Amino acid sequence: MAEYHLVAPLKDSDVEKLNIGDVVYISGEAFTCRSRLQKYIFDEKNVLPVSIKDRNVLIHNGPIVVKENGKWKLVSFMPTSSIRFEKWGAKSVDEWNLKMIVGKTTMGKKTMEMMKEKKCVHVSPQSVSPNLWIDSIEVQDVYLYDELGRIEACWFFRLDDIGPFIVDIDTKGNNYFDALEQEVLKKRDEVLKSIGVDPDFEYTELYRER
Amino acid sequence: MIKTEIYEQVIFETIKRGATEISKDVKLAFERAIEKETKQDAKKGLIATLKSMEMSKIRENPLCVDTGWPIFYFKVGNECELEGGFMELENATRRAVAKATEKGYIRATMKHPLTGYDPGNNVGENIPNFTYKFVDGKDIEIIYVAKGGGSECFGGTRHKVIAYADGVEGIKKFVVDCFVASTRAGAICPPSVLGVGIGGTANVAANLAKEAACLRTVGSSHPEKAFNDIEKELYKALNGLGIGIMGAGGDTSVLAVNVEYAYTHIAGICVATSSNCMVARRASTLIKDGGEVILQESPTWFDNRS
Ligand code: SF4
Repeated sequence: MAEYHLVAPLKDSDVEKLNIGDVVYISGEAFTCRSRLQKYIFDEKNVLPVSIKDRNVLIHNGPIVVKENGKWKLVSFMPTSSIRFEKWGAKSVDEWNLKMIVGKTTMGKKTMEMMKEKKCVHVSPQSVSPNLWIDSIEVQDVYLYDELGRIEACWFFRLDDIGPFIVDIDTKGNNYFDALEQEVLKKRDEVLKSIGVDPDFEYTELYRER
Repeated sequence: MIKTEIYEQVIFETIKRGATEISKDVKLAFERAIEKETKQDAKKGLIATLKSMEMSKIRENPLCVDTGWPIFYFKVGNECELEGGFMELENATRRAVAKATEKGYIRATMKHPLTGYDPGNNVGENIPNFTYKFVDGKDIEIIYVAKGGGSECFGGTRHKVIAYADGVEGIKKFVVDCFVASTRAGAICPPSVLGVGIGGTANVAANLAKEAACLRTVGSSHPEKAFNDIEKELYKALNGLGIGIMGAGGDTSVLAVNVEYAYTHIAGICVATSSNCMVARRASTLIKDGGEVILQESPTWFDNRS
């Protein structure tokens, strides 16, 4: 597994060399979004009030930011679960020309297909360590603060070599967690047997699941 | 009589402590996990998390950015007298939650479920939420839990009513399968403190599971052998799955499995799970009748769980 220190905006060649399981650190400009922003843009058909050309790293995240002496101060930061944005994932990759999504968990099938086509990767944290990251993030600006609220707003960050994040979706359509899931499922059967449970145990049907 | 001024300040300080300071039992569990871990990346992740949590106390910032649902448990002496009564206790809690949000100790996470409206202070319909337990005496124990979104939303918290005929085998299978599903891609932020509730109506089982996950000391045991056996078996079994920190592979997948139960209708046994994420945030403070304030290392919600 290789380790890379990348600088955004990212080029196709920066992300094409990445494989699942690789470790990356990121510098440069990024922006944040959560569900409210994607709903606002893609479902409610509003436009982002600012250009994100040259800003192709998206962080799924709702930071804690407070104003201190007229300046934004980042209090805490942890990427949030990407899987819950699946509904808008492919659209975001396509319309925002993303090269990297930083988020907890991973993305689903539809987004993965778009990521393969548009050359984009997903990376996720392997710890819950806000304090090892916040000193490396400068808050540059915020948009839609009044419309969407503090944590759903679109924050502009400048990153200084933050990581480590593991590449869980590469540009070739591989998913790190899919491979791991197969191993866990194999162990599940042994583990169930070890505590006296038949892995194929069938529950009495109290009602029909619909 | 305990003055409003005193309990309101205690509630605020308890929120701050719960959100920003790692509990002693959780720290111990992390240290043990680090020592045991054989996968290098997982070991690094555990070390980074512990380091960040220790820094939070000094920086007075949250252990994790998502401070989730603000939940309160009050263990109240039967003769406890509060200035303004219990409605004022709840009002004071709402004020303390708003103040802690403004100070950045907790994030403004609570929204209207349909419109998405953000009050900006974590106070709204049924939030913060309150649970009471009555005991002998005149004191009150105030417990704050910051229940993170990841560990709540992605299948870590579920329930199923099984037939009495399906018994312990059905209970254990449900817990293992919920855990496997909910830890995929690290969704519930393992290693988890997993609570299991058995029996009662669905809400009773779910509440017991939540209390087992959030209020029991990590490393404690159920005093009844049958339930302690399930705790030990599941602890070993879940740690044998190779899920690891953030679901990326490793030796420690749960920090603890805690089981609580209620008598049930033989027509069905409800099994509920509730997972607390690795940062396992909560704090407990006791206020004595005379106003003396005692910071507790761990909640004492349950008796005889050591
Ligand atoms: S589930 Fe994960 S991201 Fe959410 S509060 Fe817990 S540790 Fe933080």
